[in-house]
Amino acid sequence: MITAEDIKEYIKKIPPTPAILNETILHVNAGDLTKAAKVAQEDLALASYLRNLVNKPIYGFKNEVHDISQIFGILGVNIAKQSLYNYMLSLLSPKKWVLFAMNQHLFYDLQADLSKHWYDILEHLNIDDKDIGSAITLLPSSIIICEALFKENIENVKLLRSTKNLDYNTILKRLTKLDLFDISKYIAKTWQMPESIGTIILASSGTRPASDERLNNLGKWMHLLLFYELSKPQFLEAGLNDFIEFNVEYVMDIYEDFMKVMEVKE
Amino acid sequence: MRAVVKDGVGIFYPQGFLDGNNAPSFLTIDDIKATEQLKVDMLLVSLKKVIFFNFNGIDVFVKLLLRIRIKNHIAIGICDYDRKKYDAIMTYYKDNLSFSLFKNSRIAELFASNFVVKDKTVLLYSSDPSQRSAMAIELYDHGHNPVISQTKEDFDEKAIHHDAYYEIIENTRLGLMGQKVATRVTGNAIIYTVSGFLDAEIGNTFNIAYHTNSLNVGFRLFIFDAYKVISMNVHAVNFLSKLCSSAAEYNATISFVGMTFEKTPIAFKEELEDSGMMFFNNMDDILKDKELLEELGGSSVAAIKNKRTLTKTIVAELPDFIDATVTTIEMMTNAKAVKKSANMQTIAIENIDDKMASSIGFYGNIDGMIILIFPKEVAKKSCALLIGEETDDPNQILDALAEFVNIIGGRTKTLLAEKQISVDITLPRTYETAQKLLEVASMKKGVQVDMSFNDDNFTFFLTR
Repeated sequence: MITAEDIKEYIKKIPPTPAILNETILHVNAGDLTKAAKVAQEDLALASYLRNLVNKPIYGFKNEVHDISQIFGILGVNIAKQSLYNYMLSLLSPKKWVLFAMNQHLFYDLQADLSKHWYDILEHLNIDDKDIGSAITLLPSSIIICEALFKENIENVKLLRSTKNLDYNTILKRLTKLDLFDISKYIAKTWQMPESIGTIILASSGTRPASDERLNNLGKWMHLLLFYELSKPQFLEAGLNDFIEFNVEYVMDIYEDFMKVMEVKE
Repeated sequence: MRAVVKDGVGIFYPQGFLDGNNAPSFLTIDDIKATEQLKVDMLLVSLKKVIFFNFNGIDVFVKLLLRIRIKNHIAIGICDYDRKKYDAIMTYYKDNLSFSLFKNSRIAELFASNFVVKDKTVLLYSSDPSQRSAMAIELYDHGHNPVISQTKEDFDEKAIHHDAYYEIIENTRLGLMGQKVATRVTGNAIIYTVSGFLDAEIGNTFNIAYHTNSLNVGFRLFIFDAYKVISMNVHAVNFLSKLCSSAAEYNATISFVGMTFEKTPIAFKEELEDSGMMFFNNMDDILKDKELLEELGGSSVAAIKNKRTLTKTIVAELPDFIDATVTTIEMMTNAKAVKKSANMQTIAIENIDDKMASSIGFYGNIDGMIILIFPKEVAKKSCALLIGEETDDPNQILDALAEFVNIIGGRTKTLLAEKQISVDITLPRTYETAQKLLEVASMKKGVQVDMSFNDDNFTFFLTR
C-alpha cells in the first residue's frame, strides 16, 4: 500500500525554507519586529497569510488589521514566530484535499485555533519560550503528510478499517516502520527548527513519550489539545477525528488542568 | 464514522470529546444508513478513547442504537468505560436504561450470539440480584460458565485470582438483549437457541442466510435448543416445517430439544415430525451419543453427496475473486503477489501439517466459498499489518486470518456489485490445521490457484 520508498520520495519533495522567510525569522529571533515586517511584506503571499491569520475571530481583534508592521507589533515576538512557521507549513498543504474533507480555509482555521490555545496553555504553564511556542505549528504537518501518503489508498484503508480499528498512523508504522510524526520531525530538521520542537512533536503522537520530562509533559498537552480541536464538528466532518489514535491514559494527569484552561464545564 | 465489525459485533470508536454540539458530526446520514444495513447481532459504542462526554453527546449515539434495535432486533449497548463513566451513564439514564452496559468489549463479546469463543469461565457480580441472574442466564445460554458471587466481599476475594477467569464481570448491566435467534457451533452441529412463545416473528429473527450458508458449507445437524420454549402457533410450525423440507434436500437433520409440549397441541409436534423434525428431551441425548451423532451427520462436517459444482457465472467472475485476493495480499504485505497456476480440481494441499486456513462464504445472486491456505509462517507475515507485533499465538494469527479473509470477502462484494451482481458475505471461519479444512472441503471441486509473494506460497480455492 505505502512503502518506505514512497516516504523517501515524499521527504525529497519537502521544499527548503524560502529565503525571505528565513530572513524574517532571523529578525524575529533577534527581536527586531520592524525589520522582520519590512522583509515579510516583500513576499505578497506571506503578507496575505498573516493578514488572514490575525483577523480570524479567535484572535479577537475588533477592527481589521491590515498593515504588516502593525501585525508584527500586535503579535509580539513569540506569536510572530509561530505565525511564520504556520505559513511555512501552509506551503506544504495540498491545494485540493482528497482523503480528508478539508480546504485551505479550514486548514488555516485549525492552525489558528491550535496556535491560540497553545499560547493559552503556555501562559498557564508559565512558559515563555519562542521555540516551544512554535512547536505547535508543526503539529498539523501530520495531517498534511497523512493526506499525501494515503490519498491514493482510500478504498484500501476503508476496507481495512471496516474489520479492524486501525488509525492511519498505526497502519503507516506497521507498513514502513516509520510513522507520521517521524516525518514531521524530519520536516522540522529540514526547516532547521530547534531540536526540542521535533521531540515535542514525537511525544504529541501519544505513542512516543519523550525522556525529557518537561518536553514529554508538553507533548501530553499537545496530544490532548489536538483531540480537543479534532473533536470540533467541522474537523469531525472532515474525517480528522481518528487519523491517529487518542491515548487517553497518556493525558489523564493533565486533563483537569486542561479543562480549566479551555474553560470546559464538566 | 463507521462501526468496526468482528464476529457479528459492530463497535463505534469515537475519540476525544463528545457533547451535544459535536456528536451529530460523528455520524453522517451515510454512516447511519450503512449502520442500518450491517448484519450484526450486537452494536456498541466504545468509550475507550473518549475523555469527556455529557448526556447530549452520548444520547446521539444511544438514539441511533435504539433505532437500529427496533429495526434489526439486535442487542445494543455501551462498552469500554471506567467507574466514573459508568456512574455518569447510570445517572443520565437511571430511569430509562434500556440498553446494555459492558465494562469492556471482551465482556460484551461473551453475550454476543456469534462470538466464536465459548466455554469460558467468568466471574460475575452485580449488586442488583435481577441483573446478576439475567447475566448468568445469558452467559449459560451462550455456552459459558459463570461463577456468580452473591456478595461484594465474595467477589473481591475471588477476583484476586484473576488468572482463573477469562474475564471478571462487574459494572456491567444487561438491557434488552437482541431478539435474534442465538446461534452457536458445537463440534459440527449448529445450535439455535429459541425461547418463549414462537410465532410468525421467528421468520424475522431467524438468520436464514446463515442457515443456508451452513448447509452449503457442509453442516448436517441443526439443533434447536428449545428448553425455554413455552409454546408455538401455526405460523412457527409452518416456518419450521419449511426449514425441515429445505434441509432434507441436503440430507441434513433438524432436531428440537427440551420442549415439553405441555401447552402446545400435540398435532403440531406430529406435523413437524412428518416434515422430518426429530425431537429429544435432552441435549446430551444427541451430543453424547456418538452413534446417533454420526447417524444424524454431526460427527463431522460431511462432504455433500450431491456435490455442488461451480457455475459458469462464478467461473466468469473468477478474475474478480483473484483480483480481490491479490490486491488484499499486496495491500497487507507491500509485496507483489503472483499467480503461479490455476486448475479446476479438488483441493490439494502439500505439507499439510504446516498449514493454516480461513474461509468465507458468499451468497446472493451467486453463492460459494473462498478458501485461503497458508503455511503458518506466511500467515503470520501476511497478517502482520493486522497483528502488529510479532506473535506466535495461534489464536491471534487465526483471528487475523479471519479478518484477512473478511477483507477479501468485502473487496469481492464491491467488485461484483460494480457488475450488478449482489452478494452478501458470511462470517469468516478459520482452521488451525489444514486437516480440519479438509474435513469440510476435501471432496469439493473448485478452482485452485497457487500464488506467491516474496517467494512465499499460498493457495486460493474457490468452491461451492
